[in-house]
Amino acid sequence: MAAPRYCPSCLCLAAPSSTLFRAAPRRPAFLPLTPRPSQQPLQLRAASLKPLKYRRKDGPVSQKRKKARTTFLVPDLKKAMQFSLVDAMRYLRASEVGRPPTSSKYELHIRLRTPKNGAVVRNRLRLPHPVKTDLRICVIAPADSPHGQAAKAAGAVIVGEEDVFLAIKDGRIEFDRCLCHTDSLPALAKAGLGRILGPRGLMPSAKTNTVVKDVAASVREMAGASEYRERFGVVRMAIGQLGFTAEEVQRNIRAFVEGVRRDMQGINDQTPKEVHEVVLSSTNGPGLSLDGTFGVAEVGVV
Amino acid sequence: MRKLQTKLLAIRLGSGALVLPKDIKRIHMRFAPRIEGGHMGPRKFWHHELIRLKYHNPAVFMTIDRNARAEDPAVMSVHFTLPNPTPSSDSAASNPASLDSTTATDASLTERVSTIDMKHRTSSEILDELVRMTKAQAVEATAAEREELRLLEEQRVRSVRDSAKSAEVKARVKREKQLLEQARGDMAAQAA
Repeated sequence: MAAPRYCPSCLCLAAPSSTLFRAAPRRPAFLPLTPRPSQQPLQLRAASLKPLKYRRKDGPVSQKRKKARTTFLVPDLKKAMQFSLVDAMRYLRASEVGRPPTSSKYELHIRLRTPKNGAVVRNRLRLPHPVKTDLRICVIAPADSPHGQAAKAAGAVIVGEEDVFLAIKDGRIEFDRCLCHTDSLPALAKAGLGRILGPRGLMPSAKTNTVVKDVAASVREMAGASEYRERFGVVRMAIGQLGFTAEEVQRNIRAFVEGVRRDMQGINDQTPKEVHEVVLSSTNGPGLSLDGTFGVAEVGVV
Repeated sequence: MRKLQTKLLAIRLGSGALVLPKDIKRIHMRFAPRIEGGHMGPRKFWHHELIRLKYHNPAVFMTIDRNARAEDPAVMSVHFTLPNPTPSSDSAASNPASLDSTTATDASLTERVSTIDMKHRTSSEILDELVRMTKAQAVEATAAEREELRLLEEQRVRSVRDSAKSAEVKARVKREKQLLEQARGDMAAQAA
């Protein structure tokens, strides 16, 4: 279809855009002696009053704009395909075929019906079958004190005070988490390790619950625990290694969903939240919405 | 859902959708991480055929070792259980532990290993060889799956047609806008 042709003179009348006038600065002005800034509005009004009139009638732009949504969008589950746990795991196992068994993980995504502002779900949880077991924990407490002994027994890799500080100053940081006993905090503060540990997120502080009285219990809790947090209305966490059986994954999923429910109950009075959808995926696989059933496990499947 | 449906159907059906006989215990592939020197076929086989094989044979261990160098051979080894294995306590004890690792295990007394040379061969040639060796049964699409495939194909054709149509409209609108711009430019030039 051919484009309609426009008569240049009509164009001038219909669209007296400011670009037109800015493009023609050397045109004879109506008032040659006035400075330029005051000259332009005059010309505009001379060309046509129409655009200004329309603008006034419509009101400010902000009123016309649609009101922003206050909750996150949730998909309609009537249209969604949903799977039993065993079926979903079969698809995911197939898509992870041949990957190194330690690198692939099952992930769980819990979508919430929640307002965009307000408190978020955030906690640490110890799964019945931990996903990551090789966490190295350092405990700052005198090695020969009962606390230090207990921490060592609970699975801490490095326990000590002065020798640990020296090792850290030398750049030997051979741990992923660092805890500190309350009585050792002054010694830690004196050692001035904040510069080394701070940027790595390892510096113990009361704010992150890493300065504690009962060190052994914290070590035990931390050893198999993983953190989760709500982002854009979804809580995500690795829920199992690919070698896990369906029963193990089921127990982990149950524990995780229960944990999230409990957290939601705690903040329910400020921001009401509800679980909308539970999606299982894996490192390289598709995301499959779960329907809550276990399904029929085939004989011989790992 | 269309995308997910297509993806899942691609895992269920296609080349490599085979049911292996019961006596196959494990399939192991060893090839180089890069395709130079004839290692492309094995990788393609892994990404396309092996996924479907695993879906239809979830109990068969399928492992991959990509630590070979380019000049090394690319080998697929298929482990069969022997019909009446010789009872041997130490091999039975060592087998289950080594099965879930990606590295190759020594051939024990309870299994027979056949190998396929995959070097300089395409994935379909490797699949043919595997079918010939194992006498695997191909999986046919069920009526429901065929119907699903037909619907997806219909939607795909429709979407191609619609996108062509809307591209045409978009091009026309863009051209009109350009002409308008040009006319304005001419006006300014005349006025100047």
